[in-house]
Amino acid sequence: MLEKIKQILNASGVYGWEINDVKKNGWEFYFIRHELDQHRAKNVEHVTVKVYQMAEDGESIGFASEEIAPTASEQEIEKTVSDLAYRATLVKNRPFTLTPPSEEKAAEGKASDIADISADFIRAVSELPETEGEDINSYEIFVSDVIHRLITSTGIDETEHYPSSMIEVVVNARREGHEIELYRNYESGSCDAAGLKRDLIKTMNYGRDRLIAEPTPVNGKIDVLFSTDNACQIYSYFSERMNAALVYRQMSDYEIGKSICDDFTGDKVTVKALRELANSSENHAFDEEGAVIRDTVMIEDGIAKQFVGGRMFSCYLGLENSFNPTNIEVTGGTRTEQELRTGKYLEAVEFSDFQVDEITGDIFGEIRLAYLHDGDKVVPVTGGSLSGSMNDFIGSMLMSKNSVQYNSMKIPALTLLRNVTVTGADN
Amino acid sequence: MKAKFSDYLSGIKVGLQQMIGILRKEYDYVSVLATDSHGFAARISQRSRSVGGKTMTTERGIVVRVCKSGQYAEYAFNKFDPSAPEKAATEIAGALEAQLIMLKLAGVKTYKTPLLPDEEQTLFVEKETQQLPETADIKALVEKLGEISDKGMTLNENAIECIVSAQSTHICKMFLTEQRDLCQSYVYSEGAIFMVVNREGNTQVAYESVSGLGGPELFDGLEGKLDKAALTCAELLDAERIEPGEYEIIASPEVTGLIAHEAFGHGVEMDMFVKNRALGKDYIGKRVGSDKCTMHEGALCAENVTSYAFDDEGTLAGDVTEIDHGILKTGICDALSALRLGVQPTGNGKRENFEHKVYTRMTNTMFDSGTDSLEDMIASIRHGYLLEGMESGMEDPKHWGIQCIIKMGREIKDGKLTGKVVAPIIMTGYVPDLLGGISMLSPHREVFGSGGCGKGYKEWVKVADGGPYLKTKARLG
Repeated sequence: MLEKIKQILNASGVYGWEINDVKKNGWEFYFIRHELDQHRAKNVEHVTVKVYQMAEDGESIGFASEEIAPTASEQEIEKTVSDLAYRATLVKNRPFTLTPPSEEKAAEGKASDIADISADFIRAVSELPETEGEDINSYEIFVSDVIHRLITSTGIDETEHYPSSMIEVVVNARREGHEIELYRNYESGSCDAAGLKRDLIKTMNYGRDRLIAEPTPVNGKIDVLFSTDNACQIYSYFSERMNAALVYRQMSDYEIGKSICDDFTGDKVTVKALRELANSSENHAFDEEGAVIRDTVMIEDGIAKQFVGGRMFSCYLGLENSFNPTNIEVTGGTRTEQELRTGKYLEAVEFSDFQVDEITGDIFGEIRLAYLHDGDKVVPVTGGSLSGSMNDFIGSMLMSKNSVQYNSMKIPALTLLRNVTVTGADN
Repeated sequence: MKAKFSDYLSGIKVGLQQMIGILRKEYDYVSVLATDSHGFAARISQRSRSVGGKTMTTERGIVVRVCKSGQYAEYAFNKFDPSAPEKAATEIAGALEAQLIMLKLAGVKTYKTPLLPDEEQTLFVEKETQQLPETADIKALVEKLGEISDKGMTLNENAIECIVSAQSTHICKMFLTEQRDLCQSYVYSEGAIFMVVNREGNTQVAYESVSGLGGPELFDGLEGKLDKAALTCAELLDAERIEPGEYEIIASPEVTGLIAHEAFGHGVEMDMFVKNRALGKDYIGKRVGSDKCTMHEGALCAENVTSYAFDDEGTLAGDVTEIDHGILKTGICDALSALRLGVQPTGNGKRENFEHKVYTRMTNTMFDSGTDSLEDMIASIRHGYLLEGMESGMEDPKHWGIQCIIKMGREIKDGKLTGKVVAPIIMTGYVPDLLGGISMLSPHREVFGSGGCGKGYKEWVKVADGGPYLKTKARLG
């Protein structure tokens, strides 16, 4: 089918084109407690075609995209390409060049045994040390063997074959007739059974503590320590603000060679895009437009070094070797865990939905579990919320030297934001 | 005009029915949902423009649900040859059998579920629309969106971008069993304006939208939203941070909808009852809100983006009174959860697309209106806020916590708006307290359908919600 689409595209006279062909063979398992609610299988192919049209005067370029069903007839393909060719003339963007082929070839990878990976997940969950007080309410397993082929009019023809997995787990904890739940969603390549069990055991402990937690008493400002995957939101803020699209649209004011903060009194972040992180679900050699993904320093010691992003905005900014980043590594922490865990601070470990707005810098989160530390005294607290702006936190932020990986992000294990506004739950 | 049903689906119907017949020899129950939904999405801004054929709900594919000895399974695929139903049936049975072999080796037990009923039923629905996305004048639309973006830039001196988006989708779905033959076709559309301003490093974003059941004609309403977006941007630039605390609040209809969705939308999705994941299960027939609090949910509650004729399991659309004058009456339920709970399904079984499992999901979630004027509500408040603009929300059905991120609040002191604006706002609290505090409701209701809803952090579907201006108490930070 791809050959037929290529022929039709080449015969259409369009300026350029891309075909992204994704084949997915997936297995899914849904459990209530440890009993199988449903099992599902999928065998699908999605072919997305993007057509580019350059204006006759060369002053603008447009593009349009559409999915073509794998069952589409030749007539349907021709109609779709014709529609795309017309629609692409309607949107006039500043000219840019399409991604050229690279001498660097992607390692094609090989088929994954989705039965084995699925069984690994089932075994890992069944081996958790459940008790009368903490156990697994339900879980859902998604395992896919993915083949992604990208073909473009500029000569790119790359194929990647990789596993992609996700498991959603709901943990219950109960005490004296009161039951609560904690939600977890883990993405990965294949099953990291040891890591999964380690984190779920920690989650069960959080559940136990939440049941004895007191209403969050703070009303005002306090240092907040992030020691769970919520910190990924904080670091995504930095990588998003280095994205060419945000920079070109003036929604990020970061400038190459300049500090991302006027007055650093804390640690300075270093942010890198990485092609590979162990067992990440985002290990790719090229992005959806065919750009080679390279290990790239985006921010170094708080100084903006290299914007990255999609082809159009990268061309507008004059970026060489740019790409849409997948894996991110953040370093720059100078503190030990002991140094960060001093004095009075709130360690927030569970939120309803912790968010950092990459445009405004606003941060929010309803606290489901935090620990109020004051010297040797530690009190689990729940309820209320924290809020503030990254603009106020970047300069004084502290990070641990040691790192932790959450799927496609490797970040400092501990992150301390100073003077965060906390709205208590007992007012 | 009628939104014409898919020729593709009509063309494969006989083949799918033959496949169902073949599979029925092996399975106790077989159903098929086939989808063929097309649309377009245009996004025009000052610095980039794009047009695509993909929206949140465009798809073409087939999902087969089977049951054998109380164990349900599904197979999703998108390469069906209607002339070879035997081949498809063999592929499906083979794939599901391979899973069973692995499950047996892993020693997995089955959560047994009764058999779905299969009574004779036919339905063919083509809803009305003024225009179809497939025949829309995209050129004129792109030009119009460009003009709106340009005009938006002139309305605020600090504007750095004005993104205008418009998408329209023609949904076609067919549900088949041995006894049932249901077909539906309808069009929904949604458009939005994102205005971005920056003043001395302070960046703010305002968002306004239109949505509804219908075609691209709905985008005519976009331009009228520009002034509000520009004004909101100006107010956000001068906004102050709120002093954290508990306040009397008036929720605007958009915020009312967010509260409805997060408070007793997710909280009464009855697949959560099956897993014992929602407190609501133990509160049916009990008070969860004030006498003023009445809430409806269902595809028939309103005409908006998710007002279908039947859900993704072939259950006809409904209108459920979830809360009646403060008393929790019932939840919403997909077909399998209904069997497990011994209740009737409510027409709320939805999939993200044919590749995804059915869950109990919301459609239109609405607070009923009241008789109080907005002016009277404001006059009744000593110190509080009128909350406007929703950003996002999150629920905790097991603990009845709620988080709503709200764009801004207008300060009210001694019964009057002071002109002071605070932003942004995180509203948190305990759902029965929030609903128990409802003391006034305005007569006019609005519905908002421009957003999506996830189950946890996945399974995104279209939903709509809304209601009137609503007065209650909440914790703001």
